[in-house]
Amino acid sequence: MVDIVNIRAHAKDLLEKGTVKMVLGYQRGTAGVLAEPAFITDAGQADHLVWDPTCVQNLALYLVNEKKAQSHQRDPDTRPIAIIAKGCDSRAVAVLLQERHFERKDVHVIGVSCGTLGVVDKNKLSKALNGRVATKVEPHGTDSFKVTTAEGFVDVAAADVLADRCLECACAYPAMHDVVFGEKHEDRGYPARFTALGQLEAKSEDERWAYWEGHFNRCLRCYACRSVCPMCYCPECVVDSIELMVDPTTSADEKANRIKWIERSAVASENSMYHLVRAIHLAGRCIDCAECERVCPVDIPIRMLNNKLEKEAKDMFGYEPGLDPELPSLVASFRDDDPNSFIR
Amino acid sequence: MSSILKKTDLGAWAAALEAEVFAPALADGVWAYQPVAPGANDGGVALTHPNTARPPKNFAFPQREVLYTFEQLKGQAPKLTETLPNPAPVVVMGVRPCDGRGAPRNDMVFTGAFDDPYYQSRRAKTAYVGLACNTPPSPNCFCKAVGGSPSSKEGLDVQLTDLGDRYHVVAVTPRGEELIEAGGKLFAEAGAADEKESQRLHSEAAKCEQRTFGDLAAAAPALKKNFDSEMWQSLAKACIGCGICTFLCPTCHCFDISDEVTGQSPMRGERVRTWDNCQFPDFTMHSSGHNPRETLGARLRQRVNHKFLYFVENNGTQQCTGCGRCISFCPVGIDIVAVLDRMIQA
Ligand code: SF4
Ligand code: SF4
Ligand code: SF4
Ligand code: SF4
Repeated sequence: MVDIVNIRAHAKDLLEKGTVKMVLGYQRGTAGVLAEPAFITDAGQADHLVWDPTCVQNLALYLVNEKKAQSHQRDPDTRPIAIIAKGCDSRAVAVLLQERHFERKDVHVIGVSCGTLGVVDKNKLSKALNGRVATKVEPHGTDSFKVTTAEGFVDVAAADVLADRCLECACAYPAMHDVVFGEKHEDRGYPARFTALGQLEAKSEDERWAYWEGHFNRCLRCYACRSVCPMCYCPECVVDSIELMVDPTTSADEKANRIKWIERSAVASENSMYHLVRAIHLAGRCIDCAECERVCPVDIPIRMLNNKLEKEAKDMFGYEPGLDPELPSLVASFRDDDPNSFIR
Repeated sequence: MSSILKKTDLGAWAAALEAEVFAPALADGVWAYQPVAPGANDGGVALTHPNTARPPKNFAFPQREVLYTFEQLKGQAPKLTETLPNPAPVVVMGVRPCDGRGAPRNDMVFTGAFDDPYYQSRRAKTAYVGLACNTPPSPNCFCKAVGGSPSSKEGLDVQLTDLGDRYHVVAVTPRGEELIEAGGKLFAEAGAADEKESQRLHSEAAKCEQRTFGDLAAAAPALKKNFDSEMWQSLAKACIGCGICTFLCPTCHCFDISDEVTGQSPMRGERVRTWDNCQFPDFTMHSSGHNPRETLGARLRQRVNHKFLYFVENNGTQQCTGCGRCISFCPVGIDIVAVLDRMIQA
């Protein structure tokens, strides 16, 4: 069990000593049952921190944002940032380190083990509650949650409301950390990795095409899936070009004719392009925090795309990102025994 | 005069309408307006939805609208062909009152100073059959705080009130009367008891607890006063700058215009209008590379100020209708009610 009191005490200590400039964590929000990101810079506010199965967000994104912001600051505070990281989140931090986005000394990882549980899926939770509105979710034993609603308490089986990614989690205990809260559990008793993907792969090509075409058709291109992803840190993305260099000699034609890889229209062809480019760019980098899928307002199963490439990287190269920050990234490494089956 | 429609006759009514009918249905786990198949029985149209994820704004203002096509043969002047839409009539059923109130607000934008023929030709063919909320379907509903109510008729053509096994039906506009007439004998005259029951449900719903930020009239001056406040930056700290809050808003209407080239010889293509939004980095990007709204704080301020300050100054009413979508769907809990509360208190 993770006791929030210990996390708060640790955060307070770090901030009091000034060894970190900020603690990234979770606090209660006003928008609903889910916790919201907290940016604690004052030891006196450490008591706002919460830890429960509604702490869904992967806060590694904000390490990236902070780094970007720093590059614009004249006199940035270069002290490390402390981040509360679940297993999957810790892998995201490790990938960012593998990719030298920042240095190991720039981050202090406060790992939290999900134990035999994980975080809830908001949609599954509201389905399980059948119209009642959850106001609080707490772990209850090793395989269920105690959910508070206006009508009283409900005990819900964890397997029914855990996020899909938690059910198949490869790393419920933080892969890297400076300090860790909670215990490690070897057997969590949920489906094996890639179970859901396997079901999709078992379908025929036509069925899979129809599946994705249907989903891509519905995409709004709100880019929440990209914007929430800690690994989608490119300042210039194929979908919104903001870095066209203009100087006094740039003509109107050059501005108008700058390359547009993908049109703004949210139609199936452009949407598919967007999703496939994004999936390819995450091959061997995605660590399955599934934030992309969680945030999608129209429930497009994006996780399955990234899962597929994650599995590909594993099957072909035995590569799993974010388990060791010292290892090179997949695309930056070469081994003599790589299969290279695509080179003929 | 009002009427009664049995719930089991809803599908028959939809089939009797000479229009494409849409109603909320659960598809791929999401409530969305779906076409009602011809001959649908009540199983095809059952208004059991909370609110849809996407608002009904796209019926008049689709995410992609072709404005005209162009073609240019080498050495010749470009030829432009207008593509004004001439859609079939559309009836949208089950529109919640907050979304109904979105329609006249969007009309203000696309009518008047700038009469937009694309919007208007679709709007003229679109009718909204609303469903009063007997209880707020979402904990983030706040229609009452923005001058609406769970039984508001504003923007609707017909209002339905759920009386259990039947609907109490009120025509709000002449178009609404036509729709009810088209249903013929499916509609019975409402008795005094039905009308009373409907009124009771409306006043019960008006008593339901909802979220609020206090005094609506205080919002605009507070936002004006706090334009340069540091609070914007801290309130937007978690924002990821996505398009959810704006794309899902029934009254966000900003758009982009671009040319989509479909062939090179001859050069041809379409000029299209697509939804855009103030949270994207390229929204205010100048071609010089300067971006006047560089930060997420500045973009959150724009979104809130547009709804509660600039629209008030330009149109005499706030633009937000309190549907709560931007709160419920925000991935990181950014909450317009809490933001307004902070600004008014400050
Ligand atoms: S979050 Fe969903 S709707 Fe938005 S761009 Fe991604 S897949 Fe499309
Ligand atoms: S905001 Fe009001 S009108 Fe809209 S769904 Fe909620 S209760 Fe109904
Ligand atoms: S601003 Fe938010 S609550 Fe208001 S109408 Fe738009 S989506 Fe609904
Ligand atoms: S407020 Fe929320 S929904 Fe809106 S852009 Fe920011 S993160 Fe996205």
